[in-house]
Order: sequence, then structure tokens, then C-alpha cells
Amino acid sequence: MKYAPLLLLLTVAVLVALPWLVSGSMLNAAVQMLIAALFAMAFGLLCGQAGLLSFGHAAYFGVGAFAAVHAMNAFGGEGLLPTPLLPLVGGATGLVSGLLAGYFSTKRTGVYFAMITLALAELLHALAPHLKTVFGGEAGVSSFRMPAWGIGFGSLNDVYFLTLVWTLLCIGLLYLFSKTPLGRLALGLRENAHRLRFLGYNTHALGTLIFAVSAMFAGVAGALQSMNIEAANYVVLESHISTAVVLNSFIGGVRVFLGPAIGGAVMTFFGHVTSDLTRVWLLYQGIIFVLVMMFLPRGIVGELVERLRSPGSEGFAGTLGTTLMRLASLAVAAFGGVFLVEFLQRFLSAEYRAGVQEGIWPNITLFSHDWAPLSVLPWGFGFGLFGLGIALVVMVNRRVAARKEAQA
Amino acid sequence: MGFQKFARGTVAMALVMGAAAAAQAEPLKIALVETLSGPQASTGLLYRDAVKYQIGKINEAGGFGGEPVELLEFDNQGGPVGAADRVRAAISEGADVILQGSSSAVAGQVTEDVRKHNLRNAGDEVLYINLGGEAMELTGSKCHYYHFRTSPNAAIRVNTLLDGMNEAGVLGDNVYAMNQNYSWGVDVQDNTVAASDRLGFTVVEQTLHDVNKIQDFSPYVQRVQAAGADTVITGNWSNDLLLLMKAASGAGLDVRFGTAFLDQPGNIGNAGSVAEGHFLSAPFNPEVNPEETAAFMEDYKSVTGHYPSYVEPTTVFGMMLLQAALEEVEPTEDGLNAADLAVALENATAETPMGTIAMRGADHQAILPMIVQEVSKDAQYKADDTELGFVPIKVISAADAEQPVQDSCEMKRPG
Repeated sequence: MKYAPLLLLLTVAVLVALPWLVSGSMLNAAVQMLIAALFAMAFGLLCGQAGLLSFGHAAYFGVGAFAAVHAMNAFGGEGLLPTPLLPLVGGATGLVSGLLAGYFSTKRTGVYFAMITLALAELLHALAPHLKTVFGGEAGVSSFRMPAWGIGFGSLNDVYFLTLVWTLLCIGLLYLFSKTPLGRLALGLRENAHRLRFLGYNTHALGTLIFAVSAMFAGVAGALQSMNIEAANYVVLESHISTAVVLNSFIGGVRVFLGPAIGGAVMTFFGHVTSDLTRVWLLYQGIIFVLVMMFLPRGIVGELVERLRSPGSEGFAGTLGTTLMRLASLAVAAFGGVFLVEFLQRFLSAEYRAGVQEGIWPNITLFSHDWAPLSVLPWGFGFGLFGLGIALVVMVNRRVAARKEAQA
Repeated sequence: MGFQKFARGTVAMALVMGAAAAAQAEPLKIALVETLSGPQASTGLLYRDAVKYQIGKINEAGGFGGEPVELLEFDNQGGPVGAADRVRAAISEGADVILQGSSSAVAGQVTEDVRKHNLRNAGDEVLYINLGGEAMELTGSKCHYYHFRTSPNAAIRVNTLLDGMNEAGVLGDNVYAMNQNYSWGVDVQDNTVAASDRLGFTVVEQTLHDVNKIQDFSPYVQRVQAAGADTVITGNWSNDLLLLMKAASGAGLDVRFGTAFLDQPGNIGNAGSVAEGHFLSAPFNPEVNPEETAAFMEDYKSVTGHYPSYVEPTTVFGMMLLQAALEEVEPTEDGLNAADLAVALENATAETPMGTIAMRGADHQAILPMIVQEVSKDAQYKADDTELGFVPIKVISAADAEQPVQDSCEMKRPG
């Protein structure tokens, strides 16, 4: 892991140079990826380090978002709270609401903890549409980013840099937090809370504090989001936001430090790219989650770190080789699978059925090719590639196993 | 020396390319930012079908500036955050007009995004045509010069419904207002109460209930019964409407329902005979002006594979308004000047099978005829493959359906 600082510096350099490297639409995606990454990191502190699985983190994200919008309207980007400092408001409200909610929810652990967080989030979600003055009703509360410190904050570049600075700062703080005695105790809470209590620590206070810190960073992420879209709507309190952060963090790997951030960024990017390409992108997202949970239970980053740390008998190059071979075979299988799903989706769509007349089935265009739906060709192509990919994966796995056995 | 030569070459190239671009006007790009995936996609896809249909008509008629109009589709992923992202993407891809309709929450985001974009990029404005976000504040406190709503709103829906039912003699004296507890439901309730003096009925009770959370409406039905209501006026949609009607029918309650969204695909199929005899006010009915409407119905079916229903006709009519406005605008060197289009759209009128629709300049709310209709077995066009359909009871002309401009709308006009 001696290359870690170098890798980190390189990533930061790329992030800083990004506005000159990519298009406006991609930069926009990058802003959302950063926000999702910070939100997932906040969740990761609670779930990964302290072992407390929260199902209601959208509440603190949403509270931060609304606080920032109201502060933006109240201060107009001047005085005590110029535009770049607005995330502080989100963080502060996140912290206070986290202290309150954490006090109640950390009285229990495990499933009961998850249920309380879910209940508190739903409480806020059910309440929000009724409080039109605070949550703005169906059309939401909107605002306007005012210029401050000589920066206009009108262009996407300004917003990107604002989000980048805050996200990096917060992730840095989270890293430092994990090195403090309190951060270390979080791990103790996860591993064995009984022993911790036996040693004389107040585990309830400890849980509440960690919950509050996690909610604070979630609030900063929420504030960044409402600054980005210059509005907040009570749909940010919906349970699917809470679910998304759980999925993202687990896909990335909730127990490695940067795992949730990378999971959040990757899945946001995935949604950004695929939702305009295909109608069934949510299905793919679900399949990815199931596959990651089945075959990489430590998450993508967790597994990667594990492989690099202990390359096993094959050595670094050997591991890299087999991983690449596996990835290539998986890509073949994935292409076959995607082809089948897309073909079926087009075949079953209302538009296609409208074109079918008196037993004549028009060709379906997919991947710039025309396919006759009643012939064996498209189905054979899809299933064939899928089967071939799976067979290749099995073959690679067998070879690795055989080599290991020969060495043993 | 080398650099100067290079620079001169580049400038020359740029000039040549610029001239080439100017010679050919850019095609007009219209972006649809709709919910195309996830649980709310069914409505978003209806908007898409209708928009594609009418853009096809615009292009058949010659497009804009001699070029076919290009439709860009963006998936807003069902929420305001995705919508904000896609609006930016649409603008950066050169869209001049943004279309959206399936949710007022998303509409609230899009209209604000468009307003701010236009503030920051004077001379490079974009238009937002709201095809179906019916929340009052979109033409009230949130109204602005570049937002145009082509669908009715809560005030139009409720007042036409009450007028139509009153004239048909089915409203009764006692009306119960049952609505969902959020801005839309509150708007419907307020408009119901406000109309009571004018039409001489009593609002016996008003109820606001949770949105899409209630599984058992029987306690609410009991209250309707106890209040002695003849009619229930409700803005409920989806499950809240179906379960309410089913609970009322299960309790043997003899009331009529006056609704806003009974024609959503699946509702009649799901409710079955429970829906019979209930009322709806909507901007379309297939039996009005039979000749023209039948031609429209069949043409729509031949293109999309189904008869237009629910939001589709209104969307097509809204696009007709846009088409009428586009015909008034001269293309400039770089395509469309959105500010010109806004001027034309403010005064646009279009002939639809339902009658003339027009845009009102004061708050950019479309003025359109509304049809009060009853669910009946006598309907010519059946809904959801059942034996039921919608029979027109009363056609309310655009002038009679018009509602006053809201005081909260302070529209800033350019110049």
C-alpha cells in the first residue's frame, strides 16, 4: 500500500483538472458523484465503522438540504453566511438532528436500531408535505446562488469547485476522525459493544456521538445538493434515497475507508450514463447489487484492497492476470445478457406491438443491426454469448484452482 | 514565426467554419425531460408518445425553418434532482424548448431552473412548456415569463366539474370535499369551498387525508355517510381514488364522485362497475365533435398503437399551441430565438378537435375547453377493455372554463 498517497494525489489532481477535461454534461455528473460520495462516506462512518445499519439517512440529508436553501434565501449570500459557507448550515442542522435522533435510536442495536432510524425518517417524510411553509409543498422551496467572495457561482465550474472543495475537506475530516480515540472506539462498538461497556465506556453516548457526526456529514452533502440544484423538495426525504445510500455503500465496500465514496460515485455515474440509454437501467442496477453481494461480499473496493494486500501464492502479476481474464469473460457474458434484456424489452414494448400487423413481425434494430424476432438468430446470439462468457469464467476458475492444488 | 503562422491558420479555419455554420440554420431542438423509468414511468411514457406524435405532425408540415424539429429525450429518473441534471444536459445539447408534465414536484424544479438559466444567460433563453404539472403556484407565485402551462389547473378542474354536475342536476345540495393532504389536495378543497356560494350548495365536511398511505377507507366513507353528502368532490388519484370508491361501493353508499383523474389508464379496469355513474372533468372526450375527433383518434392509434387517453390529448393540444407559435416565428441565423417564440406563444391559439385553445398572456395559463363526463356503459370508446367508458355530459367552452389570474403571479416581462 505504499503507493496509496501517490494514487490519492493523482486522483485529486485529476479531479481539479476535470472541468478542462470533460464536457458540461459529464461535469454535471461529477458534481452529483461527489455529493453521492460524501453522503455514502457519512453513512459508511455509521454503518461500516460503528456497525450501526441506518435505514433512514435520507432524513439528515434532507434536513441539511432544506436548511441550506432557507439560509440561502435568508442571507442572500452575504453577511455572516456567504454562499461558499452555506454547507456549514447543513452540517449544523444535521448535527443537531443527529444528536436528537441518535439519542433515541442508539438505545437499541441491530434490527431494532434500523427500525427506529427508518421510523424517524418516515415520520419526517410523512410530516413534510403538511408543513408548506418549511418544506414548500409539492413544488418545493427554490433559491438562487448569489455571488460571494468575487466568485459568481452562476456557472457549473464554480459549483463543481465548491462541491469538490467541500467533499474533499469532509472526506479528509472523516479520515482524521477515524484516527481519533472516538473514531477508534467506533470500531470497538462494531466488534464487541458488551466488552466496551465492561471496560467502562458509555456505549450509548458513544453511539449517539458517532450517529451525530455521521448525520452532520450527511447534512453537508444535502446542503451541497440543494446548492447545486438551487432548490429543495420533500422528495429528498423519500425512503428510496435512504435505500440508495445503503446499496451504494455496500457495492463499494462499507468497511474500507474510501469504499462507500467509490460505490456512491460509480453507481451515480452508472445511473447518469445508462438512464438515457435504456429504459431498464434500474434492472441492471439491481443485478449489479445482487452479483456484488453474492460474489464480492466485501464490496468492489473491499475485494480489491484484499486482493492487493494478500496476492496469495500467484504473486501480484498472477493475480492481476487471472482477474483480467475473469473480467474479460464476464464482459462477454454481460454483453450477451444485456443483449437479451434489451431485445426482450424492445420486443415486448407497446411501440413494437403497435407496428405488428397481421402476423408480420418487423425487424428490431439493436446495436445498429436488424434482427428478425422470430428467427433463432438474435436469441441464439444472446444466449450463446451469455453461455460462452459463463463457461469462460468457470474455465478460468478451474485453472486457478488446479494451479493452487498443484502448488499445495 | 511558427506560432504566428499556426495562430493565423486557426483563425482562418474558425472563420470558414463559422461562415459554414451560419449558412445553414441549426435545426430546432426540443427536449423532453420526463420520467421514463421507475415506478412513475407509465405516465411519463404517455407524455412521450403524445409529444412524439405531434412532433411528427410538425415535421410533416415542414418542421421549423425548413429543417425537421429534433426531439431529444431525457429521463429525469422521477425526481427533481434528476430533472435539474437533465435540464442542464438538455440546454448544453442546444435545446431551445423543454417539455415536461408528469409531476408538479419536477415541474417546480424545471420552471425554476429555466428561470435562473434565463437570468444568467440573457440572449440565450430557453422555454419551458409545462404539459401537465397542475399545481396552482406554477402559474401563481412561481410564474415567470418563460413558463407556459398547456394543461388545466386545480381551479379549472374543480370549477368546471362543479358547473357541469350542477347543470346536469346531479350535484345535489350537500357536497363533501375529500382530498389528499398536500398542495394539490388543498387547492382542490379550497376551490370546492370557494364555489359553494356561487352554485348554492353546502360543503358539509372537508377532509384531508394522508397521501397514498391509507389501505382502508371505510372510516372515511362512514364520515361521508354521517354527513349526509350527495356528492364527493375529490382530487385524489391512483390508489387513493380507487380505494375510496371501492370502500364507498362496499358500504352501499349512494353518492356520486366528482373526480379529476378517473381517466388514468387502469383506473376503470381496476374499479370495474364501481366507477359507473361517477364524474370527471377533463380537456378531452372522444365523443365530442365526433367527426374530427374520430379522425384524430384513429390517426393517433395508427401512429402509437393505442387510442389517446388521460394526458395524451391535452399534450397533443399543447404541442399544437407550440406549433402555431413556431409558425409565427422567423428562424434567425443560429436557429430559433427563444425570446421571439415566447412572444408568439403568448398570443398563440390552436384549433383542436375539442375547440379553440389559447394561451393567456397574463400568467401563461392555457385557456381550454373542458368536458364534464360520466362513466357509463353507453360510451362509444371503452376504457381499459371494459364495457365502461366516458360519456360527455356537458362541454364547457374555453371562455366559461377560464379562471381569474392569481394575485400571486407577478410576471416580469423583458424590456
